[in-house]
Amino acid sequence: MKTFEIGVLLIILLCLPFSVAFAARIEISAPGEQTIPLAMTRLLPMGVGAAQPAIATEFQQVLLGDLDLSGLFDMVDPAAFLGDADKLGLRRNDIDFNQWRMLGSEALIKGGYRVTAGRVTIELRLFDVITQRLLTGRRYVGKLTDVRKIAHTFADQILKSLTGEKGPFASKIAYISKRTGYKELYLMDVDGYHPIQMTNHRSIVLNPDFSPTRKELIFTSYSKGNPDLFRKEIYTGRESRLSLKPGLNIGGRYSPDGREIALTLSKDKNSEIYLLGTDGTIHRRLTNHYSIDVDPSWSPKGNKIAFVSDRRGNPNIFIVDIHSLDVTRLTFEGKYNATPAWSPKGDKIAFSRMDNGVFNVFTIREDGTDERQLTFGKGSKEHPRWSPDGRFLIYSNDLGGEKSIWIMRADGTGGRKISARGGNDSHPAWSDRW
Amino acid sequence: MESSRKQRWQQLQSVFEPGFKQMLLISVLLHLLVPILYYTPLFPKHEIEKPPVYRVNLVNKIVKNPQAGRPEAAPVKQKPAVKPKPKPEPKPAVKPKPVPIPPKPKPVPVKPKPEPKPIPPKPKPEPKPEPVKPKPEPKSAPKPAPVKKKPQPKPAVSKAQESALEARLKKMRAAQKQKASEQARKDKLAALRAAAIAESSNIESPTTDAPVGMMDGKGDQAGVSAVAFVQEFIQKQWSFSKYQAAGSPEAEVKLFYNAHGTLLHYKFLKKSGNSVFDESLIRAITKSRQLSQPLPESMEFHIIFNLKDMLDKS
Amino acid sequence: MPKLTITRLLVMLCVLTLLASGCAKKPVVEQPVAAPESTQVEMTQQQPAAVTEQAVTDTATNAYDAAAAARAAERAASKGLARIHFDFDQYILTPAAKSILVSNAGLLRAAPAVKVLIEGHCDERGSDEYNLALGEKRALAAKNYLVSLGVAADRMSVISYGEEMPIDPAHTKEAWAKNRRANFKVKR
Repeated sequence: MKTFEIGVLLIILLCLPFSVAFAARIEISAPGEQTIPLAMTRLLPMGVGAAQPAIATEFQQVLLGDLDLSGLFDMVDPAAFLGDADKLGLRRNDIDFNQWRMLGSEALIKGGYRVTAGRVTIELRLFDVITQRLLTGRRYVGKLTDVRKIAHTFADQILKSLTGEKGPFASKIAYISKRTGYKELYLMDVDGYHPIQMTNHRSIVLNPDFSPTRKELIFTSYSKGNPDLFRKEIYTGRESRLSLKPGLNIGGRYSPDGREIALTLSKDKNSEIYLLGTDGTIHRRLTNHYSIDVDPSWSPKGNKIAFVSDRRGNPNIFIVDIHSLDVTRLTFEGKYNATPAWSPKGDKIAFSRMDNGVFNVFTIREDGTDERQLTFGKGSKEHPRWSPDGRFLIYSNDLGGEKSIWIMRADGTGGRKISARGGNDSHPAWSDRW
Repeated sequence: MESSRKQRWQQLQSVFEPGFKQMLLISVLLHLLVPILYYTPLFPKHEIEKPPVYRVNLVNKIVKNPQAGRPEAAPVKQKPAVKPKPKPEPKPAVKPKPVPIPPKPKPVPVKPKPEPKPIPPKPKPEPKPEPVKPKPEPKSAPKPAPVKKKPQPKPAVSKAQESALEARLKKMRAAQKQKASEQARKDKLAALRAAAIAESSNIESPTTDAPVGMMDGKGDQAGVSAVAFVQEFIQKQWSFSKYQAAGSPEAEVKLFYNAHGTLLHYKFLKKSGNSVFDESLIRAITKSRQLSQPLPESMEFHIIFNLKDMLDKS
Repeated sequence: MPKLTITRLLVMLCVLTLLASGCAKKPVVEQPVAAPESTQVEMTQQQPAAVTEQAVTDTATNAYDAAAAARAAERAASKGLARIHFDFDQYILTPAAKSILVSNAGLLRAAPAVKVLIEGHCDERGSDEYNLALGEKRALAAKNYLVSLGVAADRMSVISYGEEMPIDPAHTKEAWAKNRRANFKVKR
């Protein structure tokens, strides 16, 4: 009897909590819109001075290109813009946010320009349409030729506001071009504009890399009869040979702290990976194998180096720990894996794999999992390199008969050609933020 | 102590002697009923823990007791008028309509509505005659493979139906004996198969044919649940790009809506720590200040925002 | 256990036959059997070398001027040193390549003053860096074989151009076969 009683009590007690009403719990595990609706108005002339619509047009074109590449946005069609788009008002209170909200936009770019005495001033604002807040405001002053640079710089700022990390659009890309008939080193903007020839060796220049700390490049050149490693200061143009050992001095890559250079030397009749000081002295030999070892790429922490070796038969990617010199194999699929590039974020290693004579770009995690093919279709895509923020990859693609430099997002989407025809352009490298 | 208790118990027994135990039992049962009832659609509590992954058509009405149906179905169908009223007889008439819907989710076995099914079983017996053997078991009958699983899904067949089937079977067998022509039977078989296939494709018909309701709806109102509606509404207002994502952020927000569907206040119970993510939620909530339809009552929602489904896909 | 020994025996047998066949191939004369098309080209190019060699002996018999003879040998070498070819992603010398090297070694021995630069090349397939290393392996393979044939090592230097200097820029199998090569350049 007693147990019966207690049992009843227990049951009642157990039931009690269920009879209390809760608020409804909901889980929303993905946004309904996976892009940010953004409205971008045309720059309007500010104050006195003649209107120069060409400035607004160029600015808009450059900024749109960068924002499109970012993949973050869904641009609101300017044809739908209402009255507020034609008003210069850049202050929060001057803006009719409801107009923009009606168009479905969540973010708004407004701006104006002024030209005085050959200098251009561009004022820019990024607003949150929903909360009606100013997200970022910038004023840029420069030469008339700086409009593109200003647009890239503001694009970086927009990404900073909306993702927490600055964009890479105001940086530079180094590459090798054969426009003159010889392979020479060039620099260009991230969208392929302003190509500048950096060397005139009239020989073969290959495989550049940017110093992470100085405005300086290293590359390999045959100009002295041997593939030697050169260093070049970008602004002074000063150039010197950094490593001129007999045999190969190729594939130089600055360590993340800029203090050492990993490269391939074959001074002992076989290609091995070495570490050099920035004065060219050998610090350390990292590999010791009779097979081919080339193409070093530093992990962002600077403690490991991915490289290519055919020590197991076919070219594959391996990783060597620069302290213990332990070597682990990274790639197992495919018959020809080369040109590793470690993401500056550290999570992935991009590389190119040849299949049926055609290279495509892949990524893989450091532990060998999660291999993904990023590029498909015609054209051999080689030499992937990361943007300094790890958002994008550049690579060479021989689609259409000659090589050119292409850019895409790190997930393989948004691929587009950036270098102009006629250069047979290859071996891209992305500078740190400029 | 012991003894005093016993004494009291005896005292009580003496007082309530006759039906006390029964009463106690009823009381217990009644208490048990509370939580059970709580989870039935009779109590449209806002307690649905795991919102299923269906999409909700936001033009659908929000109701307290959504019927079985599809939340994304268009409310074009004015059938509701035709169907629901015949409430008086709960089992037979009403059910037929919802039946075609359930193909996707679990067909809510709760209801013995499978009336429409009995029709397919009938054809089955016919093919069986082939084996000439008098099979007592109707279940094994559906062997005729050609007739897709369609018949099988109807395990909801009741005893009565079974016996009915058996009776029919007997009739059939008798009839079959009369049938001399094998050819005729074959023709019939083919026809049956065709019919079965046709019917099966019918059942798997697209959502346009489905009534507006919830897949797990057990009520009788055409419409969708408030939770499903709010989930869909706020999700639609939320813009966030995978290129903004860093890690796997998760935040929890409490929102309080009045019966007009107006947001009275909200509060972050847990921020994600990722300001870009949290700001996108503020935008989504700000855009959801007014729902497009009133709620059945004022309600509070705890919404967990994360990117599980988006990041998985990439 | 017996299985193991059997496989071991088999492996040894294979190795032995390989060794035997390798030795058998050294004699210069017997390679017309397995000469692929590309090497055939080389062989015809090599013929003139023999012709110029004739000239050397001519001047030598005159015995007028040792220096003149050396110059002639130099000329013969610079004209007569034939290039060799390789298989894809390989730096192992093919029998055809070996026979060419034997002839090249003869020219070099006849002109002891001549120094030679051996250039290793690859076809355009494969990665640039890897091909630079591969080209060097090819050049070194040629050099080492010449050393084994009695050419002094300090007369020869190597350089790799990877895939940077194709003879035939076409993207065809024939072009690739031509481009996978080691060249010999006389340095003075």
